[in-house]
Amino acid sequence: MQNTVSRRSLEQMSMERDRSGSLWIIQAFSGLFLVFILGMHMIAHHFIVEEGLRDYQQVLDYVANPVVFVIEILFVILATTHAMLGTRAIILDLRPSLGATRTLNWILGIIGGLTIAYGIWLAFALQRLVG
Amino acid sequence: MDQIQPTTDPARPRNPLKSWFDVRGRKVGTWAFALNRLTAIGLTVYLFMHLIVLSTLLGGEEGWNTFLAIARSPLFLVLDVVLLFGVIYHALNGTRVALVGMGFAARNHKTLFWVLSAIGIVLFLVGAYLIFTL
Repeated sequence: MQNTVSRRSLEQMSMERDRSGSLWIIQAFSGLFLVFILGMHMIAHHFIVEEGLRDYQQVLDYVANPVVFVIEILFVILATTHAMLGTRAIILDLRPSLGATRTLNWILGIIGGLTIAYGIWLAFALQRLVG
Repeated sequence: MDQIQPTTDPARPRNPLKSWFDVRGRKVGTWAFALNRLTAIGLTVYLFMHLIVLSTLLGGEEGWNTFLAIARSPLFLVLDVVLLFGVIYHALNGTRVALVGMGFAARNHKTLFWVLSAIGIVLFLVGAYLIFTL
């Protein structure tokens, strides 16, 4: 058996490596932002509220605040992006083929996109309940 | 600190997934890496569960009150403490990995690990206390 790799495969692997490097930067920065946003989220929702959880009306009043609304949407986008990139990194450690990696990118992209879209829709739907 | 890499050690499994669970002679950095991945998987699952729970708000006050009754049970509070550990560990270890990966504190990464561990333990103990006393 010949121990050679075609030029095309090498170029594809090189492109995949470059992409992984760029995605690592996105994951690192989204993670650093998440530390702050998640910290605020947990303090606001669980540590300064009586009995640790807001009641129904308190949640609606909280989401009605425009600043909170924007932060919560930012939170959904960053958390989902970070989670999908992390899942990709874990699965890539199992050394899938190039074809499987492409399929994985599509699947995680679709799951992430749908999750973000649902999260944003949910935030707007909760605002409509208040209004 | 050492990261898990494809191994050439004939005593270790060649399969990367199996090598994660082969803890023989591993250093603290490998444990940190493995725990980071474990908490990552847990937090990803929790993200989807969180969205599902928040969706009950759309069903009105009754649905949310049912969730609150479950969420205030002792078993759920214990799960909250596990979640708190996962969040704090993943946030602080992730910060360390990001800073070291970007070239900051690369020479002092072990010190950074232990300093962040100390901060994490304090945050965890305060948070766990608040979960059971609020």
